[in-house]
Amino acid sequence: MSERNNPAEEVSTREFVITRVFNAPRELVWKAWTERDRLMQWFGPKGFTMSTAKMDFRPGGSFHYCMRSPEGKEMWGKFVYREIVAPERIVLVNSFSDQAGGLTRHPMSPTWPLEMLSTTTFAEYGGKTTLTIKWKPLNPTEEERKTFDGAHGGMQQGWTGTFEQLAEYLAKG
Amino acid sequence: MARLATTWDVFNAVAEPQRRRILNLLACGERPVNFIVGSLHFKQPQVSKHLRVLREVGLVSVRGAGQQRLYKLNGKGLKPIHDWTENFESFWNESLDRLDDYLKTLQKREKSNERKK
Repeated sequence: MSERNNPAEEVSTREFVITRVFNAPRELVWKAWTERDRLMQWFGPKGFTMSTAKMDFRPGGSFHYCMRSPEGKEMWGKFVYREIVAPERIVLVNSFSDQAGGLTRHPMSPTWPLEMLSTTTFAEYGGKTTLTIKWKPLNPTEEERKTFDGAHGGMQQGWTGTFEQLAEYLAKG
Repeated sequence: MARLATTWDVFNAVAEPQRRRILNLLACGERPVNFIVGSLHFKQPQVSKHLRVLREVGLVSVRGAGQQRLYKLNGKGLKPIHDWTENFESFWNESLDRLDDYLKTLQKREKSNERKK
């Protein structure tokens, strides 16, 4: 394959990172992530409701949920917990799922990584909690890795010029 | 946009690093094939193959100008990728907005409970 010529690209899978500071003690933020009823209160985009959620919070256990979009569309997903260090860190495997808990593909992109490894850290300073979530594909196939790098990593890796063209197009309406 | 096959193809098309470099180059403006070959030091048949894929998924368009064929980036074609990446980000950003609200509610409740004691 052609990309073998380019070892820099070969190992380029970067993590996707989101950081947020909450004006709340770490213990409270931790509970919001690790107790089923609390997680159900906030997880999911605006307007989504969580209709089903089963949680077994321990390494090897899982959180299997179904959320409903404002249009009524159902979306199943699953976390499988790998590592839990209260109240500092949760490592889990994140994937799309079906009702039975089986893994499914991304509805829009069949080559999107089937499983994503996600590490969430909780750090407290001065009564505030800094939450950092990192994602990367878990054991991706060559195709999955390339899709992840292309769709996400690529955006941050300097094909912003390309996306500026899109922004211009969108601005034109 | 609703055609799933096209969406799938665009994701595949940009998954190839060399094709991303071609897109980047075309982001600067319309260019002929030999300019792409010369700038990126890829082989001509490879560039032609990549350009064909990019054209098929609507990421570039081509027009003839005399002897040359000029390739141009079609920004609109990137929308499915942009949408998906944005979906992932907005999924989490919106969830964390809700978490923020939820934590505030909890803290308010805690305070008012303390006052009652």
